[in-house]
Amino acid sequence: MSENAAFEPKIIAFVCNWCTYLGADLAGTSRLEYPANVRIVRLPCTGRIDFNLLIKAFEMKADAVLVSGCHPGDCHYTSGNYHARRRWMLFRELLDLLGFDMRRIHFSWISGAEGHKFQQVITGITEETRNLGPYKLYEGKPAAYPKFPETVLPLGDFSTEAEMRQTARKLLSEGTVQVVIGYGERGPIFVSKAEDADKLVWNRNCLTNLTAYLKRKEIKTLGKAAIVVKGCDERALMVLEQESQIERENLHVIGMACEGLGLPKCAGCNVRQPRFADEAIGEAKPAEPIDHYAALDVLMAMPPEERMGFWAEQFDRCQRCYACRQVCPMCYCEQCIVDKNLPQEISPSATREGNFAWQIARAFHQAGRCVGCGECSRVCPAGIDLWALNLTLERAAEKNFEYKAGMEPAATSLIGSYSAKDEEAFIQ
Amino acid sequence: MSEIIAQDALRACVSEWLAAGKCVAGPRQVSWNRVLYSYLKKPEELLLDSEARPVNSIKEFFFPKHEKLYGYKIEGNDVRLAETAEALPEQVILGGRPCDAAALPILDHVFNWDYKDSQYNARRAAATIVTIACATHDDACFCTSVGLAPTAESGSDALLVPFGDGSYEVRCLTEKGKALFAGKTEQSDKTAPAHAGPEKKIDAAKVEAFARDHFEDPFWKEHALACLGCGVCAYNCPTCHCFDIVDEGNAAGGERARNWDSCQFSLFTQHASGHNPRASQFNRQRQRVYHKFRIYPEKFGETLCTGCGACTRNCPAGLGILGIATEISHG
Amino acid sequence: MDNIYQPDLMEVVETQQQTSDVKLVKLRFRDPDRAKQFSFRVGQFGIFSAFGYGESTFNICSSSNWKDHIEFCFRRVGRVTEGLWRLEPGDTMGFRGPYGNGYPMEEWRGKDLIFLGGGIAMPPIRCAVWKALENRQEFGNISVVYGARTTGDLVFKDELDEWARRERTRIVQCVDPGGETPDWKGEVGFVPSVFERAKIAAGANSIVLVIGPPIMIKVTMKLLTAMGVPAGNVYTSLENRMKCGVGKCGRCNAGPAYVCKDGPVFSIEQLNAIPLDY
Repeated sequence: MSENAAFEPKIIAFVCNWCTYLGADLAGTSRLEYPANVRIVRLPCTGRIDFNLLIKAFEMKADAVLVSGCHPGDCHYTSGNYHARRRWMLFRELLDLLGFDMRRIHFSWISGAEGHKFQQVITGITEETRNLGPYKLYEGKPAAYPKFPETVLPLGDFSTEAEMRQTARKLLSEGTVQVVIGYGERGPIFVSKAEDADKLVWNRNCLTNLTAYLKRKEIKTLGKAAIVVKGCDERALMVLEQESQIERENLHVIGMACEGLGLPKCAGCNVRQPRFADEAIGEAKPAEPIDHYAALDVLMAMPPEERMGFWAEQFDRCQRCYACRQVCPMCYCEQCIVDKNLPQEISPSATREGNFAWQIARAFHQAGRCVGCGECSRVCPAGIDLWALNLTLERAAEKNFEYKAGMEPAATSLIGSYSAKDEEAFIQ
Repeated sequence: MSEIIAQDALRACVSEWLAAGKCVAGPRQVSWNRVLYSYLKKPEELLLDSEARPVNSIKEFFFPKHEKLYGYKIEGNDVRLAETAEALPEQVILGGRPCDAAALPILDHVFNWDYKDSQYNARRAAATIVTIACATHDDACFCTSVGLAPTAESGSDALLVPFGDGSYEVRCLTEKGKALFAGKTEQSDKTAPAHAGPEKKIDAAKVEAFARDHFEDPFWKEHALACLGCGVCAYNCPTCHCFDIVDEGNAAGGERARNWDSCQFSLFTQHASGHNPRASQFNRQRQRVYHKFRIYPEKFGETLCTGCGACTRNCPAGLGILGIATEISHG
Repeated sequence: MDNIYQPDLMEVVETQQQTSDVKLVKLRFRDPDRAKQFSFRVGQFGIFSAFGYGESTFNICSSSNWKDHIEFCFRRVGRVTEGLWRLEPGDTMGFRGPYGNGYPMEEWRGKDLIFLGGGIAMPPIRCAVWKALENRQEFGNISVVYGARTTGDLVFKDELDEWARRERTRIVQCVDPGGETPDWKGEVGFVPSVFERAKIAAGANSIVLVIGPPIMIKVTMKLLTAMGVPAGNVYTSLENRMKCGVGKCGRCNAGPAYVCKDGPVFSIEQLNAIPLDY
């Protein structure tokens, strides 16, 4: 403990220009003393504070981080802090899953008139962090792999292959579409001739979420497309449409009723029957509902330190191949943030720190958008339990906002919208 | 007369090597459905007799996914460079397959082409490679099409050929191999059976000719449509070796390091002007085949592929060198 | 351990801003022994770095006769060049090289030299022009047709004027249509058409160095063939994206040729054997 006596924590405070920064200023002019441990980073609005900045602060050896801005209703830009609040409600759940010491991350509303509050908050955080000691990304022993609950692995009968082929044949020969994006023997295929329709298959190996191909320019040049989708994939179409990435009228959707591919994600699936397809093929009996989030409880039952050890061991295996990104329909940015280097927000290196930053960014960019197709987990060569990251955010979206991506056609984007009525209990 | 070793004795060797401060790497079950070549902490972690193939290759013990080249310290106008001074521990790579081991002498060419990559060479010198011959193969294997076999010896210091009962015939191929197994084996008059391996699936010469003479063929476009441009094939391939160099640090200093890179990424060949010679995925897929079957043989006399099937097994879209090379080989 | 990726530490001697986004940097080895034993051939390139930003590849655009320093010229377009832009005289930067094959100027002796290029293609031409001017008697007529998008984008303007005063040396400057200012006295048009209009004598005894995008090389080669210049006498310097410079990172190949080892200088005869992969 003598180390801690000499230890002076570094606190980084990301504050908005119009409220908290002025509040800090007022504290200064009012001669209210607060510890010099805090380094203030001024941004126009809390709405601008990217969660990456918090991770970056810790990478740069911050011991605690404060994010602070205008009170709800007082944002200089009207709604920036509402967006921020919603973002933090979701982001904290991800950090918690990763075993992050949540006592090192603080959020507050401090107005330009609240010099005293600024003093109090900074003093409190500094003291608390001094007692916690220096921040370190996990350095301990790897945790034992937890026992996740067993689930059923529903498997359908895939008897509608012939009907699917006939549909494709018809669409192509009548010129309704120029290409059918579907499943072939070994993987996705792109059938442009009616006589090739027999190359399409429908079986338990039809795993890919084919909607991931709609963003690719090589596929767009093939002409008007029909696409074979399962229920999980169809949810992705809805999100893509909400985000203006596809024009639904230009896409012919062949929806396959599916009673499961024999994968964990199929347990309790509530989208077995196509809902919005142009052609719905087959009938599926509804699934027995299950507690989708039970597996997360296993992880959350581990003490945070151990939980972080679990993730550190997994992320150490990450090769940065970006297969998780490339197979995801929602990852359609022309240039991914990790590929940008002015500035290099996320390290491209496959180190523990770099991999944490990447995995956090990838997962969080799916908040409120991931449809749970599970492709990221399936394709990861390193066998990282990526599904748990996405599922945590799915749970956070459902619990806090009753929101599930890709279910309601009329829904708006969760992260892209805001509400004055969002409720939380962690902002001072 | 042959030398043999039982599985228990082999694990006991692993204990000894670990106790002696050597790094030992081998197939390890890292999660419920994933086996990877990785460093072992205990002999029990070594996975033997498993059908499950490690997804990755052993190249990462010689050419890591992230490797510091040197550090730099910035002091005003001055910069001081600091070489990576850590002494490399000896390493034993145990349990790779002949297709993994054969990749290393192939890679030696490019890492020593006029300029000698000292870090790669140091890791090579510090390692003893103990390969386990294959008793089975799967649909993705095609080592026999590129001059290898389930008992190929290229790149190995010792080859363990399984009897099928848990014991192995130990063939020490180099001084390093002999030194490693000195006194650890028993004499026997049995020799282990040789598994035949897959029948020939591709014609490497045909692939080379096609790549050379049909650079602009629509074949490349048709074949590559499913490719999503990730790095799984290149990163898990025993012979792929492309890399990027980055500076990471702050105003006081940092390190210059190299990271794996893949010709399948869209920005791999992007010029600063905005021009990209390989702007479409099919150009990039073509490049991979071209590099392996045309460029490398032309420069170094060897195909940059050992037929291990990792790309084919692990491609999220079901592509891989085997598929494309088979199509080319059979018209 | 002899680390081939470790750069020489260089001192920035001078920086000269050439256009709004192009700078020339003069640098010298901090280690005097290294300075003494260093030499290069014009046409070779180096990997220049600003520590903390990264490494980037540029032609060494000074003449190999200049022994006390080397130069490179770059456009500020991204992270590394932003770092290079911020260098001031006295700062330390990194250099690895020389890499690549350089121009076969010994084979160009006794011939007329024609240089064609645009914009940021001037630096790799400039080193060859200076080298030829410094060994003037070895070469025949020297002609340069150099153009840029606008007058503000021309680099080495004062050197171009200086070259025009040398014996048997003709410099034609041009800007793209619309890029001229009212007081512009040079030509207007794209380099290949300006070259054609300029009626520069070219034939079997000419060596042409043309640096630019594939389309420009194609158009120019048509003209040159019609003038009787064989493809083996026409050269270019390719610029693929590079990282290691020593043939290992696998990034710069154009077809079967590694630009960092087999190039960057290729004759058009050699280039015709290379597929369009650059």
